[in-house]
Amino acid sequence: MSKAKRVQPQEIHAAPYPAGKVLDAQLHLLDRQVLDVDGVPVTTVDDIELSGPEPNEKIPKGAPAPQITALLTGPVLGTRIFGGRPPSSRLIRIPWKSVAGVDTVVTLGVRADSLDASWVERWLRTHVIARIPGGSHEPE
Amino acid sequence: MKRLLGVALGILTAIGGFVDIGDLVTNAVVGSRFGMSLAWVVLVGVVGICLFANMSGRVAAVSGRATFEVIRERLGPRAGLANLGASFLINVMTVTAEIGGIALALQLASGVSYMLWVPFALLAVWLVVWRVKFSIMENVTGLVGLSLVVFAVALFLLKPDWGALAGQAFALSVPAQEGAGVYWYYAIALFGAAMTPYEVFFFSSGAVEEGWKIKDLLQSRINVLLGFPLGGFLSIAIAGCAAVVLLPAGISVTSLSQVALPVAQAGGQLALAVLILGVVAATFGAALETTLSSGYTLAQFFGWSWGKFRRPAQAARFHVSMIVVLLAGVAVLATGVDPILVTEYSVVFSAIALPLTYLPILVVANDPQYMGKHVNGRAVNIAGVIYLFIILVASLAAIPLMIATGAGA
Repeated sequence: MSKAKRVQPQEIHAAPYPAGKVLDAQLHLLDRQVLDVDGVPVTTVDDIELSGPEPNEKIPKGAPAPQITALLTGPVLGTRIFGGRPPSSRLIRIPWKSVAGVDTVVTLGVRADSLDASWVERWLRTHVIARIPGGSHEPE
Repeated sequence: MKRLLGVALGILTAIGGFVDIGDLVTNAVVGSRFGMSLAWVVLVGVVGICLFANMSGRVAAVSGRATFEVIRERLGPRAGLANLGASFLINVMTVTAEIGGIALALQLASGVSYMLWVPFALLAVWLVVWRVKFSIMENVTGLVGLSLVVFAVALFLLKPDWGALAGQAFALSVPAQEGAGVYWYYAIALFGAAMTPYEVFFFSSGAVEEGWKIKDLLQSRINVLLGFPLGGFLSIAIAGCAAVVLLPAGISVTSLSQVALPVAQAGGQLALAVLILGVVAATFGAALETTLSSGYTLAQFFGWSWGKFRRPAQAARFHVSMIVVLLAGVAVLATGVDPILVTEYSVVFSAIALPLTYLPILVVANDPQYMGKHVNGRAVNIAGVIYLFIILVASLAAIPLMIATGAGA
């Protein structure tokens, strides 16, 4: 039995020192509730979209680190559970630039109604709920 | 004074809200077959529901997160979806059973077949869900449901041999005429009826609906710790009535009128009228709670906007899903299936789904990011772990026992 040969790396780079709050995408972003600027629930973070290299693509030295470009929702939840990947055109994106804060919930700086992510809610509101008497009144 | 009134109201509501069709039927069945020998299960169940309802209420008050948001976040989408599927199915079953219960109680009062009452019950439940404010809904059904105290009064009027009843309760053994498998099957059913998961979904979402803050925690604790045990006492009284009247006569409970029989025998027409009022209020209240719970679980899993504090238009998906659930429940009843049978199965299936509901609550109640300094104390954690073990055993044993005993036949 031969001893496995140990490969010594030539140079070890320390991970870049994080400037600010460290978020674990799995722990602090995925499956968290998303609230809009008024505190109205929008969706849950079903997945996130990153910029940067495709899988198996070679990463050139000194390339910028990937960044979160959007929170995803919609059919991507199904593929996250059952496997596969929806076509990019079917993803519903909430651009990362609308995110205002990340705590036990993800808060947005925009209104829910201005987002694609709320289209089902808006469709049901105008086509079903608004047609039933009392649908737009406060409960008494 | 106002605060004292609030506490009193909360306790009374908790008592009236504890008993639903599942507790009514299961306790009467158990009392008529096993006497008081399963009363200990109600005690174990009540302590468990107090423990976890209190915990989920605290999580909701401190973090503002209702139970199913927490479940999705902690279990991830896959296990969360499995949990949602199970909880939702049980919720729909329970909605079906409760609407059937309202209709059966109205049949008992009027003599008109329950099938004709089902559409009215559906409409009434939906109107309340659609239009009535949360606090009013809670208080009215809870207070009227208190008339189920008539079971306790009836038990006294029946002048039972208290020593014999206590003897059955403390003997902790399987009655001679029944098998051990059936005994444990009904133990699980009773446990499931006392600890139904919808109660926790409803309780924590209700805390968000009513905007509880940390300062309200004391009141919620009093409500739970006094209200639920007194509700459990009502459950035992139901079993006691059945044990005194139905067991010696060899009557097995297959309909609501048999549940009511001991009360009618003890207190006559007046007691029966009070009983029917109580049953209608209790099942109506529970129908509201389960309908809302199915909306809550769906909305919280998918992150939709929910709540009765919003206008229906501001929580469109939440309200549409509840309409669908109610229609589904009525569609099941329209097949002519016996609501009592649906109830008996729903409590056992509740017991099966219990671990999935209670584990994430225990985990999050220990997470300082959510709870700050209000994380669980050591004693609560020890009790929580012991209960998770009991729940797990009950859940694993339920299906084998159901098959082995032919669902308790």
